[in-house]
Amino acid sequence: MGVKALDTLEELAQIARTRPGKLKEQKEKGVKIVGYIGRFVPEELIHASGAVPYLMCRGGEPEPPDAVIPYMLRFMSPYARSQIGYHLLGIDPVVPMLDLIVVQNSDCHESRLADLFEYFKLPAARLGVPPDWKKVLSRDYYQKRLTWLREKLEVLTGNKISDEKLKKSIESINQTRDLLSRINLLRKKQPPPIGGYDFIRLNHYSFYCDLEKLLPKLNDLYEQLQKGKSPFSREAPRILLAGHVVGMGDYVVPKLIEDSGGVVVTEFLDEGMRQCAWNVKTDGDLMRNLGETYYLSRTPPSIFQPAWEERVEIMEKLIRDFNIDGVIWYELSFEEIYDLECSIISKAMDEMNMPFLKLESSYEYSREAVGPLTTRVESFIESVKQRRS
Amino acid sequence: MAKDIHEAFLRLTGFEEDEIAEYLPQWREACEKLGLTEDDVKFATEERLPAYFAVELEGIRKLLGCFVKETIDLTKANEYKERGVKIVYGILPAVLHFYYALKLTAPDEVYVSFPDIFLTLVMNGFFHKLSPYLEEVEKAGIPYGCRHCALNKTRYAARRLGIIPSPDISWIWGFICDEGPKTDEFIRIYQDPEWKTYITRLPHDQPLGTVEDEVIDRVEYLANQMRDGFESTQKEVGIKVPEEKIKEVIGIWQRYAAKLAELALLMTADPQPLGAVSGRLFWEPLFTPFNTGIEAMEKALDITIKEVEQRVAGKEGILPEGAPKLLIYSIHPSVPWIAKMFEENGVGIPLSEFFIHTKKQLTPPTFEDPYMAAAEGWLRTSGMVNPGYQAEQICEKLETHKFDGMVFGLMDFDRWLGSSHRLLTRMVEEKTGLPVFYIEGDNWDDRDYSPEALRTRIESICEIMKIRKA
Repeated sequence: MGVKALDTLEELAQIARTRPGKLKEQKEKGVKIVGYIGRFVPEELIHASGAVPYLMCRGGEPEPPDAVIPYMLRFMSPYARSQIGYHLLGIDPVVPMLDLIVVQNSDCHESRLADLFEYFKLPAARLGVPPDWKKVLSRDYYQKRLTWLREKLEVLTGNKISDEKLKKSIESINQTRDLLSRINLLRKKQPPPIGGYDFIRLNHYSFYCDLEKLLPKLNDLYEQLQKGKSPFSREAPRILLAGHVVGMGDYVVPKLIEDSGGVVVTEFLDEGMRQCAWNVKTDGDLMRNLGETYYLSRTPPSIFQPAWEERVEIMEKLIRDFNIDGVIWYELSFEEIYDLECSIISKAMDEMNMPFLKLESSYEYSREAVGPLTTRVESFIESVKQRRS
Repeated sequence: MAKDIHEAFLRLTGFEEDEIAEYLPQWREACEKLGLTEDDVKFATEERLPAYFAVELEGIRKLLGCFVKETIDLTKANEYKERGVKIVYGILPAVLHFYYALKLTAPDEVYVSFPDIFLTLVMNGFFHKLSPYLEEVEKAGIPYGCRHCALNKTRYAARRLGIIPSPDISWIWGFICDEGPKTDEFIRIYQDPEWKTYITRLPHDQPLGTVEDEVIDRVEYLANQMRDGFESTQKEVGIKVPEEKIKEVIGIWQRYAAKLAELALLMTADPQPLGAVSGRLFWEPLFTPFNTGIEAMEKALDITIKEVEQRVAGKEGILPEGAPKLLIYSIHPSVPWIAKMFEENGVGIPLSEFFIHTKKQLTPPTFEDPYMAAAEGWLRTSGMVNPGYQAEQICEKLETHKFDGMVFGLMDFDRWLGSSHRLLTRMVEEKTGLPVFYIEGDNWDDRDYSPEALRTRIESICEIMKIRKA
């Protein structure tokens, strides 16, 4: 990545780092701050209500999930536990100022997280997401819950979410997705101008920047990346990073892959990334458009049923489209559905003769833990390299 | 020895002499299919069952026999399938009315079972030999490290080992489980393309404390999910169940539940007349369909009630009079030493919370429609709803049965039912002021939790309870 692009990324990183301070200023001016957890919560609605959305997706440190153990089963997702763990440790600057925390409830980890928010008297609102997504019953349920959320946001902010406001909001976020999608597609080049470590961070930063600032920055970045030189070698094995989520701050694995001589050229992650291949239509019934795009059009998450065969097909397409040399499955401890899916994916990759590595993390990245992890990643990258040559 | 030990096993499990001749060859065949050796049967007959079940009581022996008959029947499922009988599976927890109604409508045309629960209860509870099943799947796609549920593993293992056939439909309830339905998807993709599944799900998006059975939209949604699932199941197996059959099943179920309420009352007598594990299996027909029916179970229950009544009248107990008694979330006979360890330390855990009812649960349903009634009943059940409402119900049960405290946990494998226990421990203690404990462990699979590993925790709980009660 060229110097200019690096500077732009750093500017966005700086905006994300100083986000809590900005939120505080806005809050003091009477603007409502709405935290949200999960890809099924349309930030378009929050924007349109006049509130400021704040995606909660932190991860990568062992202490926050451990802080939740007195209140929750030990064998739960460290990612879900992290979303309240920082607050329980007293080191989350944002959660105490949130006026609402919208938590998607599609699985047990999220629902139990919502229980804890409520137990600690935080202003949680649950967005039910039925995993049996092929049924009309379930689609209608999600659609109704979106209407409920819209009303809740209107009451919270005192602002009516008009179709005009919603359309404007959808258009802005569509533009964000378009720009990220264009940047993403640059990664089809060999070597790509940007790797997964930076692209994942870019996705994260895009959630913490006001749209009017974000869009020109993304545009600049796209131009800079198009013209700039790739920081990766032509021989770098092209890696698909798959799994549930790389949380904000949980960058050890993507960085390690790229430090070991590989490059992450595409991701297959359910959370923490903008699903930039799917825009929301801006004509007709906007609420229905949101429902269709968020619930039906995008890649079904692992918890949906049926999902795994479709997900394998999507992965196979990514492998072809991005000319992948190896797949790394990044799994968080005790995420039982992803653990089952890993076996399905592993079998499919085996049938494709595609090198596959499963990594598991409980966010324990001490020197002792990173040593063996580094050895595994380096060996994998080396073996993929040799295979390619 | 061979003939004697199998005979002795059947005799111990309540088979009449004339039945033994009929069942002995079937039992031997079942053992072969299940991987049980003569040593395993000897261990069950001479050590395991006498140690944990009150086999001196005829009712308990008959109860065990019902499980043996159902297990034999389970090992015939492949033959049923070959004969064209439709195979319908499900998983815990589910409303059984629908499965029983199918069976009642076409007894010879359909086989209904939750195979994993039977295999787990019998293979571990009677023989302590579930490990080979679990190990079989741990090397075939469901790794050990992630703490997957032993029931799901056992269902997969049973198919993988050829003990059970592919179902015509596995109607999987994911109202309070993510891994169960997804395991079925896993089995179909990874192992058996013929494993056909229909799932019903319910998002858990109600705020803490919501009285969910009074949220009409929720009751309706759940009822529609049940209707949709049952209609799809009927269509799949080609059996049309009239509504009156569902009502007939509800009648049978209510009669059986009323008798269970009698037993529950007896179990909490002072002194406690029967060990927790012995009584516990009687509750299974409320949660697991018996393809062989529940008539024999009901007879065993009638006998047991009479026998326990005599013990109560004679002040005969397994614990001294005045011993502290704890309500436990759920005790499973698949790991029977946990309950026994409490009893050996002078504390009773006569009933599982999951299996006793609140006053509201015992009131008639608000709705005539069987699906609405079933949905309402489901949402009146403590484990199925948000922890706030659940805690309220648990507090009522503690008060009704005058328990001295409560134990949560032993559900590490269950990321739905088990994941809220630490929170519930706090909520119930805050509301009642009673001592409430949490034990890490696994009710189905005790490979990781040996008696020695839990002894310190259980002994200290018992000491605290005895000091408080003194």
